[in-house]
Amino acid sequence: MDKSLHVIFMYGLTQLGFIFFFYSGDIIASTSEGHWLAIIIGLVLNGAMVWLYMKGLGYFPQQDIISIYTGLGKGAAVLFLLPLIFFLFITNIITIRAFSEAITLIFLANTPLWAIMALIIIISGYIALNGVESIFRTGVLLAILFLPVILFTICISFQNVDFRYFFPIMDEKLTFLTKPPYWHSFSAFAGSFLFLGFIQPYVAYRPRIVMITVAALVPFYFISVYVPLFTFGQSTASTFKFPFIVLMSTIHINWLMFDRITMFLLLCLVTFTMLFISMVLWKLSQVLHRCLPKVKSSYFVIVIAAVNFIGCLFITNWDEIQSLIMWNTMLRFYVLVGIPCSIWLIGIRSRRMIKDEGA
Amino acid sequence: MDSLIQEIKDSLGNNDDFFLQQYTIGEARLLLMGFISLIDLTKSKEALYDNMHNWKLEANTVTSMMDAAGEVIDLDLEKAIMLLMDGKLILFFERECRFVVAEPVPSLLNRAIESPTNENVLQGAISSFIEDIDTNLGMVRKQVVSRHIKVKNLLAGSSHKKKLSVIYDDSKADIKLVTKMIKQLESSSDHEINNLQHVTRALGLSAWSSVPKFNTTELPAEAAAALGKGRVILFVDRMPFALILPNLIWDMFTLENDRNFPLPLMISIRVLRVIGVLTTLIAPGLYVALVAVNPEVLRIELALTIAQSREGVPYPAIVEMIFMLIILELIIEASTRLPKSIGPTITMVGGIILGQAVVTAKLVSNLLIIILAATTISNSTVVGFQNSLAIRLFKYVIVIMSAMYGVLGLLAGLVLICAYFSSLNTFGISYLNINMKKGEARNG
Repeated sequence: MDKSLHVIFMYGLTQLGFIFFFYSGDIIASTSEGHWLAIIIGLVLNGAMVWLYMKGLGYFPQQDIISIYTGLGKGAAVLFLLPLIFFLFITNIITIRAFSEAITLIFLANTPLWAIMALIIIISGYIALNGVESIFRTGVLLAILFLPVILFTICISFQNVDFRYFFPIMDEKLTFLTKPPYWHSFSAFAGSFLFLGFIQPYVAYRPRIVMITVAALVPFYFISVYVPLFTFGQSTASTFKFPFIVLMSTIHINWLMFDRITMFLLLCLVTFTMLFISMVLWKLSQVLHRCLPKVKSSYFVIVIAAVNFIGCLFITNWDEIQSLIMWNTMLRFYVLVGIPCSIWLIGIRSRRMIKDEGA
Repeated sequence: MDSLIQEIKDSLGNNDDFFLQQYTIGEARLLLMGFISLIDLTKSKEALYDNMHNWKLEANTVTSMMDAAGEVIDLDLEKAIMLLMDGKLILFFERECRFVVAEPVPSLLNRAIESPTNENVLQGAISSFIEDIDTNLGMVRKQVVSRHIKVKNLLAGSSHKKKLSVIYDDSKADIKLVTKMIKQLESSSDHEINNLQHVTRALGLSAWSSVPKFNTTELPAEAAAALGKGRVILFVDRMPFALILPNLIWDMFTLENDRNFPLPLMISIRVLRVIGVLTTLIAPGLYVALVAVNPEVLRIELALTIAQSREGVPYPAIVEMIFMLIILELIIEASTRLPKSIGPTITMVGGIILGQAVVTAKLVSNLLIIILAATTISNSTVVGFQNSLAIRLFKYVIVIMSAMYGVLGLLAGLVLICAYFSSLNTFGISYLNINMKKGEARNG
């Protein structure tokens, strides 16, 4: 049965979580002018990779990337999957830790960090335990409940914009390409589309619709970067860790009984991120389950969640998160570029082999 | 054959409502057997006599009599007892040594078809199901006149026999699902079925799910609509409602009767129910979160008003909330337990306590009363009492999480409930499906 709707909601929600949270800050920090170029380069790379990935997966109907890689032989599987496992682990830890940090900063100053991290992990773990189809259904329900809130906050975020901040238009030297924050900005893309390769045996979807979703998300990248810029200007905006979230704090609506709209934006993003984390937990459990088929994959979910939690506890401050993100850069580009390309190449190879055999 | 009569006498004779009478019609000498409590004997005899009378002129009188009276069969003890228990009249023709099972005039043990007691209908058919399974089947047949409606009768229980009927529309329902269900019921035919928990277990479903696995309805119109949507209906004898399988989330918000209104009104009514459910879930949690953990989210004026109204309340918001919610649950429970004549007293006393006295005594804040009222009222907008119970339970999860994590806890609670809903499935059909599509049931 076609479950494209579930898939695109999943993809859209996890992307939104990253866009408004990390992406805007990274892009604003990476360049002082011509942000659009930085965004477009990222988006084009992302679009191309998603397309390539799905193209490659199309050669292997009903197979996930684990079986595609193991089809190449054990050595190759380890070579390709080991970095992936590390990447997913580190991404999970970073995401949980960073979101918990933001939550404490913004509105739960008295709650200990470990309690917030425990909450996020337990709920994500519970979602992941119920299996992949359940994750998707949860995604649809969350989209119905919280997407309107997100769209509403995005609409009102334009309250204080000044379009003159659009200038200067061009950064001719493309200095941002060498800046670490720009590399970090790719974490918004990497990892979000990976699940497409894991769900093939369980959930059917149409690649065309996924590509349309990728295109439909483009405005959000621009909004997340440009609205804070238009409101604060580059020099102010670049001092914030989470520009879009700070921006929402400045919005004032007369008829709303709430004073801090930030909270709703942030919390909705947190729920989307829980979904993302549960998806990562599930992906990890799938990979590990394939290595040790005797152990039930639900045990892996619990163990991975526990390890993630312990990992988060070891990170004591924001600088450590930053350095972890830094270490993750190599892996991130491997996942963003290496995996789609390798899947595509393996796909082409296998097709050629089938053709040769046929001849 | 006389030995069988003796056996029947031995095993049933110590029941005072069991009768074994000699009776003569024309040339035939009969023994009548049955339960006086299940059979209207006088009328049955009369009917028997009338029936026989018509056939008197035939050549072989007794044989035609036997054919006319009912089904001529060979019996053993087990079968005979089953038939007698089922309210059948057994005739034994002494000379011919043959048993005839006749359909007697039953004594009236069912109530008449009345309007529903647990569901209200506005502008719609108001007859509701009764305890008798055959009447219920008939009502469904009357409602949906279609040759696609199929009925499968089953018998469950080892010592207490209970009749079950599975009804489905073979052009709409997923036949795989139906066969899976029937097979499951047949395989667990030794389970006693006296209540819905037993039915759940007999169907091989988890009895621990907080959301009921079947949607119950008292209305033939709703049942008929469910058949049209490809659902399967299960009737259990002595239960005055239809069990619609599987139960889906959208059933919480829709009634077939809504379609008797113009489309825009129907949509608004349904939106109202969705808002009702969300209010029930969110309102108490939001109060606790905003008062106890995140007051800064509110406008300063509002935050001050709330703080003022809580002045003098000696405990945290969570205790206040749980305390009042439990009193409210007690009122609801009490008013269902009490006879109808005393019920209003409870409502009145409860109203006074909740409305005024508690606030004046500074035990809880004004605002809390408003929240409580909103919660209780909106909880009742859900379709189906069993669904409103589930929602009532879930709001506590959110209240407790809100007390711990504030607004984050509120949203996390919602996520948790969403995840729980997504994890539910009945025979492989997810609780969250809007429509039952064919081919959806997999490896359940």
